[in-house]
Amino acid sequence: MSEVFKSLSPAEFFYRNREIAGFSNPARALYQTVRELVENALDATEVHGIFPLIRVYVERDSNPSHFTITVEDNGIGIPPQYVPQAFGQVLFSSKYRLRQTRGMFGLGAKMAILYGQITTGKPVEVITSPLNSKRIYMFKLMIDIKRNKPIVLEKSSWPKKKNWHGTIVSVSIEGDWSRAKSRIIEYIRRVALITPYAEIIFQGPDNTYLHYTRVVAKLPKPPKEVLPHPYGVDLEAVKMMIASTNEKNLIDFLTKSFQGIGRIIAEKFLKEAGFDPDRDPKSLNIDEIKVLVNKLKSFNEFKPPRADPLSPIGAELIAIGLKQILKPEFVVAITRRPAVYEGHPFIVEVGVAYGGSVPQVQEPILYRYANKIPLLYDEKSDVLWKIISTFDWHQYGITFPAPLAVLIHICSTKIPYKGVGKESIADVPEIEREVKNALREAGRKLRTYIQRKRKLEETYRKLTLFVRYIPEIAQGLEVLSINPKSKKKELSSDVIVDKLISILSNKLENVNITKDLINKIVVAIE
Amino acid sequence: MPSSVDMKAREQALNVFWSRFKLLIESILRGEEPTLEIPKRTLSNTIYDEARKLLLLGPQKLTRKLFDAHEARKFMQTILMAKIIYEALLNNEYPTIRDLYYRGKHTIVFRDHKGRIKEENTWDEQKESDSVIRDLEVFLGVLREEMLILSKEKGKVVGNMRIRSGDDIIDLSKMGHGAYAIEPTPDLIEFIDVDAEYVLVIEKDAVFQQLHRIGFWKKHRAILITSAGQPDRATRRFVRRLNEELKLPVYILTDADPYGWYIYSVFKIGSITLSYESERLATPTARFIGVSMTDIYGDSEKKKKPYLTDRERRHYIIKAKPADIKRAKELMNYKWFQTKQWIKEINIFLNKKSKLEIEALASKGLRFLSDKYIPEKIETKDWIE
Repeated sequence: MSEVFKSLSPAEFFYRNREIAGFSNPARALYQTVRELVENALDATEVHGIFPLIRVYVERDSNPSHFTITVEDNGIGIPPQYVPQAFGQVLFSSKYRLRQTRGMFGLGAKMAILYGQITTGKPVEVITSPLNSKRIYMFKLMIDIKRNKPIVLEKSSWPKKKNWHGTIVSVSIEGDWSRAKSRIIEYIRRVALITPYAEIIFQGPDNTYLHYTRVVAKLPKPPKEVLPHPYGVDLEAVKMMIASTNEKNLIDFLTKSFQGIGRIIAEKFLKEAGFDPDRDPKSLNIDEIKVLVNKLKSFNEFKPPRADPLSPIGAELIAIGLKQILKPEFVVAITRRPAVYEGHPFIVEVGVAYGGSVPQVQEPILYRYANKIPLLYDEKSDVLWKIISTFDWHQYGITFPAPLAVLIHICSTKIPYKGVGKESIADVPEIEREVKNALREAGRKLRTYIQRKRKLEETYRKLTLFVRYIPEIAQGLEVLSINPKSKKKELSSDVIVDKLISILSNKLENVNITKDLINKIVVAIE
Repeated sequence: MPSSVDMKAREQALNVFWSRFKLLIESILRGEEPTLEIPKRTLSNTIYDEARKLLLLGPQKLTRKLFDAHEARKFMQTILMAKIIYEALLNNEYPTIRDLYYRGKHTIVFRDHKGRIKEENTWDEQKESDSVIRDLEVFLGVLREEMLILSKEKGKVVGNMRIRSGDDIIDLSKMGHGAYAIEPTPDLIEFIDVDAEYVLVIEKDAVFQQLHRIGFWKKHRAILITSAGQPDRATRRFVRRLNEELKLPVYILTDADPYGWYIYSVFKIGSITLSYESERLATPTARFIGVSMTDIYGDSEKKKKPYLTDRERRHYIIKAKPADIKRAKELMNYKWFQTKQWIKEINIFLNKKSKLEIEALASKGLRFLSDKYIPEKIETKDWIE
């Protein structure tokens, strides 16, 4: 890897490996571009306490295989001095930080710009206005691939008339709308499902129009930035931390640069690991750093990683989203407590929607999310699919075909993706266990619901069975009450009906039976 | 104008209905769950009374509740049928069981527990309404003839006797080539005079007609009856009365197969489905005159020669079907077939796996049947009790 970096700029490297980032063909590139821009838009809003209002336009250019994708958000905007680097330089990042975001340093958006620049030759257009800025700024940029530098083609600014803030990004690429359309629509729908606090408008080239309104005034808890945990760092990370630290000795370096390491524990660790606590961290050679990283990972007295950098959606929002989009008759959502794999904190969330408008299916419909990003590709190779397809649904009252949809969200400072496509999650025992526990928890609630429903249904079934015969019985007994000598009726059928209703009411305790019910159940006797 | 016997029967039936259903109405008014206790009409509740040689209804009862998911529909059907019969009694009508089926058959349109509109017929097939009529017979202890319900006439009789039916006198020796159809209410028949030595009941209508045309009953002083297959209740009751009131011995001639044997046993001891009526319908002294297996194959033990030659046997015998074999094995389980003679009969059948129709004997020669086979069997007392 480091050898490749010697001869190629990062921009050139990413361009040559564009399929890694999801730009392998025009259809996939169109999908990926929409996705990257929408995720940046969400990261610019909800994390900062703003209810997202996101507009997405896909327009066909005069060249029918070229498309312009425009995404507008009402986020915090980008200070104008950072715009060229933020959009025109790969691996641009102001500081090393650790918290859950959708994108990683906006890398994906830059891939879209690079891809557009190569296939259509058009620059990216960025219009932005930061929160408290009085002006709106416009840039037209390209990336100098060899030198990994932004080229500003056009730049202007004008005063703000209204109190708008946010960013509008337009990228033109070669795409394939007819092949990407269903995926893009499904992507927008799945984003809307977990962001019921957002308003999302989508307009496609063939009059495709989607509008998801905001249904709840509640945002998920934003993630906090935290220091890395000693179990979760690798050699490269520690090298970077040492390079950027101002601490002059190892004990200060450890306590100030990591979470979960207090002074006493740091001393104990350095003694056991055989390092001098007063040693300048910058004096460590590569072999010594390797030893340090290994010792950090195997020392078992550090506090477990904190979950503060994680931002789960929250059971309440998941339930609202599922109700809004899938219109089920029953929904349950679970947010598990934070857990850890290989030093990375993670939280599993599960939502289960049952009945109503959820279609009858042979296997559960699965909605996968990783750090709030919908995963649409490679479903069958995902560990989440493996879990839900082998889960014992029968034990929870489900016999397929059943109207069942399952949402699973994994959030973590590091999602263990399978392969470079970042579309499926790898088998990690800790995650697997948490997902199963969440499914069981949700399953128990679903089972209770189904059982209660079945019981009520059974009561109503019996009720309609009994009530349906009451008019017949009452008329029969009225005739049988005719005195054979006087030929006179001794009873009217109304009296029998009333009496039978009161007997039935005593028998079926949990339903209210009235005379109206008979007319409701018995429509006619023909 | 209905006959006086009719009027009396009608009044009795009305009283039983009224007083019995009054109890049900009163219990409902007291707030009790609507419940009917009905004697069970099942094989397990059918008892063979060895001393009287009758199939009788046992003591078991079923409790039919309106508010029981399994019984609700039957309960409704029972009340519906009771209502229709009661109305017919009140209106001086004579419905047939088919009439009752049509009068009660209608559609209940209802909303089910999921709100869907559905339809249900009070009953779909006549089998269902017939079954409810039987339930009412045992529930009330009143036979359907006593409720003045008619059924299709099936049995026929000829012979040298005169009877009164309704207000007419009928001479059963003057029926021409036809015969008198035994009415559905044989209890309302009055025997005026009779000149006969025995009653011969024939399973097959065709053989009955052949014997009638050659004047069998005149020559042998017999009352000739056919049940035309499985006997209906009227035919059984008529035979029973001839036997009981006129002291005429009864001989029964059927095919030599398990179905023929069962027809004989229905005449003699009653049937499983109608065991509650055996006391009035069965003729315990009836004799099975043939065609027996020993008539076909002979009986070396009794030094009896077969009535058929080897050649005739080859021609007339029919191979038994699996259903016949199965039925024969079932009959062996019935107590009333567990006599020495019947075990021998059934074993020959299972051994030879062959059966024979009465018509085969007629084919050998009608004269053979009328002048040799039947008289000789009676003369030599070659029958099975």
